[in-house]
Amino acid sequence: MAVIELKGVEKSFGSVKVIRGVDLKVEHGEFVVFVGPSGSGKSTLLRLVAGLEETSGGTILIDGRDVTNLGPAERELAMVFQSYALYPHKTIRGNMSFGLEVAGFPKDEIRQRVDEVARLLQLSDYLERKPRELSGGQRQRVAIGRAIVREPVAFMFDEPLSNLDAGLRVDMRIEITKLHQRLGATMIYVTHDQVEAMTLADRIVVLDKGIIQQTGSPLELYEHPANLFVAQFIGSPKMNVLPAAFKEGRISINGGVGIEAGKMTGTDVANVGIRPDDIEISPDGTGLIHGKVDVVERLGSDTFAYVAVPGAHAVTVRAPRDSAVAIGQDVGLTFRPERLQIFAVDGTSLRLRPGV
Amino acid sequence: MAIVSKTANSASFRNSRRWLTVALALYFIYTFIPIFYVIVSSTKSNADLFGTFGLWFSGDFHFWQNLQDLFTYQDGIFSRWLLNTILYSVVSGVGAALFATFAGYAFSKFEFVGKKLSFALVLGAVMIPQTALVIPIFLLLSKVGLVNTPWAVILPSLVFPPGVFLMKVYADDALSNELIEAGRVDGAGEVHIFFNIAFRLLTPGFATVLILAFVATWNNYFLPLVLLNSSDNFPVTVGLSQWYALATSGSGGAVLFSIVMAGSLVSIVPVIAAFLIMQRYWQGGLGAGGVKA
Amino acid sequence: MPDAVATRRRGRVYVTKSVAPYLFLLPFMALFIAFLIAPLCYAFGLSLFKTTMVAGTQFVGAANYLKVFTDPSFWDGVVLLFKFGLMQIPIMLGLALLYALILDSGRVYGRNFFRIAFFIPYAVPSVIAALLWGYLYGPSFGPFGQLAEFFHLPKPQFLLDGTILGSIANIAVWEFMGYNLIIYFAALQAIPQDLEEASSVDGATGLQYALRIKLPLIMPTVIVTIIFSIIGTLQLFSEPYLMRNLAPGIINSHYTPNFYAYTLAFTNQQYNYSAAVSFVLGGVVAVVSYVFMLLANRRAA
Ligand SMILES: Nc1ncnc2c1ncn2[C@@H]1O[C@H](COP(=O)(O)OP(=O)(O)O)[C@@H](O)[C@H]1O
Ligand SMILES: [Mg+2]
Repeated sequence: MAVIELKGVEKSFGSVKVIRGVDLKVEHGEFVVFVGPSGSGKSTLLRLVAGLEETSGGTILIDGRDVTNLGPAERELAMVFQSYALYPHKTIRGNMSFGLEVAGFPKDEIRQRVDEVARLLQLSDYLERKPRELSGGQRQRVAIGRAIVREPVAFMFDEPLSNLDAGLRVDMRIEITKLHQRLGATMIYVTHDQVEAMTLADRIVVLDKGIIQQTGSPLELYEHPANLFVAQFIGSPKMNVLPAAFKEGRISINGGVGIEAGKMTGTDVANVGIRPDDIEISPDGTGLIHGKVDVVERLGSDTFAYVAVPGAHAVTVRAPRDSAVAIGQDVGLTFRPERLQIFAVDGTSLRLRPGV
Repeated sequence: MAIVSKTANSASFRNSRRWLTVALALYFIYTFIPIFYVIVSSTKSNADLFGTFGLWFSGDFHFWQNLQDLFTYQDGIFSRWLLNTILYSVVSGVGAALFATFAGYAFSKFEFVGKKLSFALVLGAVMIPQTALVIPIFLLLSKVGLVNTPWAVILPSLVFPPGVFLMKVYADDALSNELIEAGRVDGAGEVHIFFNIAFRLLTPGFATVLILAFVATWNNYFLPLVLLNSSDNFPVTVGLSQWYALATSGSGGAVLFSIVMAGSLVSIVPVIAAFLIMQRYWQGGLGAGGVKA
Repeated sequence: MPDAVATRRRGRVYVTKSVAPYLFLLPFMALFIAFLIAPLCYAFGLSLFKTTMVAGTQFVGAANYLKVFTDPSFWDGVVLLFKFGLMQIPIMLGLALLYALILDSGRVYGRNFFRIAFFIPYAVPSVIAALLWGYLYGPSFGPFGQLAEFFHLPKPQFLLDGTILGSIANIAVWEFMGYNLIIYFAALQAIPQDLEEASSVDGATGLQYALRIKLPLIMPTVIVTIIFSIIGTLQLFSEPYLMRNLAPGIINSHYTPNFYAYTLAFTNQQYNYSAAVSFVLGGVVAVVSYVFMLLANRRAA
């Protein structure tokens, strides 16, 4: 278990700044997920922690020890890679033993530890096989097992599930959660998939363009996104965004009548956001805005309606599965004002909510 | 291949297949003439060599006699040449392949000061005419007393720039960065990672460079011609060419012709065998170099 | 990274990422410098001096180079190589391309057999190749001469003034066609299969597919092989050197520039002038390759 602390960490490749000053503290036993779009610098940040890249600025502390200038070996972390990075010429046992051999552990102890971890991960029957003789999910477990045997101070995961098919991905997600509960180890996990982030994390770190956009628990991010970027990145389907303006104590949505702004006084309101779950379809003529149903997707559990609203992007609505909504129908859209997110011109969230 | 046309009109497919195979066979005959000639000629006595049709066997099977002459002429110096060639080619081949593998790995997997410049120099080395190198190497090595020693051939042959290029391309493809990083996170040092992880995966590329460097030294002529002057150190190429010069100069060396033929055959058989045995490697390797270049 | 070049960690020498590339490059680069860079620099130094019996060795600056520029023995050789290259390279690469396309079309019997058979000459040392063809070319005892005699035809003359260059070119074609074929074949095999399916859906015949799709796609590879062939051609030495006795008077001691440099150094002991000749030849190689690349790029653009 370890506390990992980043202070003003920066990284440039040549003249390109990829990480622009990151401050973060990961507590003992915490499961932190870095999430963000492709190219946002998640992997780079993780690799900086692991010692696979050298920092261009700032310091990295592990349990209070400055490791900024130490190589990966001295940081005693373990990492699970996207491609699994299993040594193809070694058996599963050889893969899991390698780190311990390098560290000079006695043979008996290596054998014992590998056997134990193999049992934990249900790999005991495969120990003498080569990686290519295993399925994707099994390889993934070997990669995790290789990390566990070394009893590292913390685990790093870089998109470990993205090479698995959808079903297996869910299973492995659950296994990783269980593993975290059992080991109680500090884990940092990188993914571009916000569902993975929401389900796994104690705390999510949202990255964009090398800057932390927001840090918080999954629900905090969902309910109180710090800005438009986080609001749209977290949650599936995406939050709907409609143009808005502050007029005479009211917030007018998409040029319409608008709603009471309550205690809010800001004048630079530019957009409001509302999640598909928080919208209800009502008969034409009722509701805050109206539009025409463009597409209906029936997923079984839910029905998604995409409603064309003049002057705005199509609005996504999550309707009950037996909703009678039909293509071409003119509908009104209703939502509770306190569910609205309000964003300023620069995209930051205006925390005060109408009617609150 | 050509699935559509195969099913669409298979009569024309079979027809074109026949003609294209004939075109290949014609070139094959051309390719095979000199090789057939050396096989035929090495079975003939010196008299038959000139007195019978060159591209067919004569009644008198003189092959074993020629071999015996080859290995006994001038106190059996030919076997000495053969051993020299083997020594030079094996040592240079293994060394060149090993050093090229190290260097290609460094160029592929590391960032370091001077990487671009040094790689450009290695690539540019192919432009240099042999004489521009071999003559000054001769002069420099004669200063340190290495001329006319095996080192004079082996040391320059250890430098095999195409091998470095090939190994870089191969390592780019066959060795993922994540694998090396996994080794680093596992706590292994770079040398340990190279020998325990990387080298195993680079082995096919290594084998390719090994055979190419081996053959380059086996077939080399200009370098040993310049750097060696005592017959005892010659490789087969230089030795045979001297006998050949003697034979063609007309000054009583004509009896050498059949020996030269037998010697030619003996000297090409091991290389052809090596190529046949290791075809998987050189085909892939030459291809990679050509496609990526 | 720690300051120490290598730290000992639990009894094992531990080399860090920052020093590792230099360590891996060391053996090759040391030899590269010793046997490539150093000799080149040394030869360049040599080329700036002149050694005479009377005056000893003295610095003459560019004088040797100026002499090369007006030396007909050198330029005759260069002109000869141009003739040689313009004949040999198109034939060799044209055949290689043709046969690579044929092999890749899949419309042949014995594809693997032919591919490997065509490559075999590459395994034959150029010395032996020159020697074997030298026998074959022989007017009286060579099999072609024998055949002509048998049919009462005029004997083919491979070793005369007008034909010997073609005869040498033939040896080079024989030696290197298969090598280039292997390279083209690999490039052709790397073309994705679905292109062929797409083109046949578009109604293209096999021949059209080969000429209009495959050929342009492997053009970069073809250009690389042309450059390597130019470099190889301009270094011609072993074949004429070996055949000098077969055609005395025609193959003289400055038949090709490399031959000339060799003669200057080892027959005349004119190391300084020989070095200058080699460097000018290197310059010619670089200029011709560069001009060719410019032309190829302009064509492509
Ligand atoms: N070794 C490198 N050299 C140059 N640029 C790099 C390197 N590694 C990553 N980058 C760049 O840094 C940015 C962030 O990359 P990365 O951390 O891999 O993003 P993510 O994992 O979030 O998709 C990208 O624009 C990428 O192109
Ligand atoms: Mg990434």
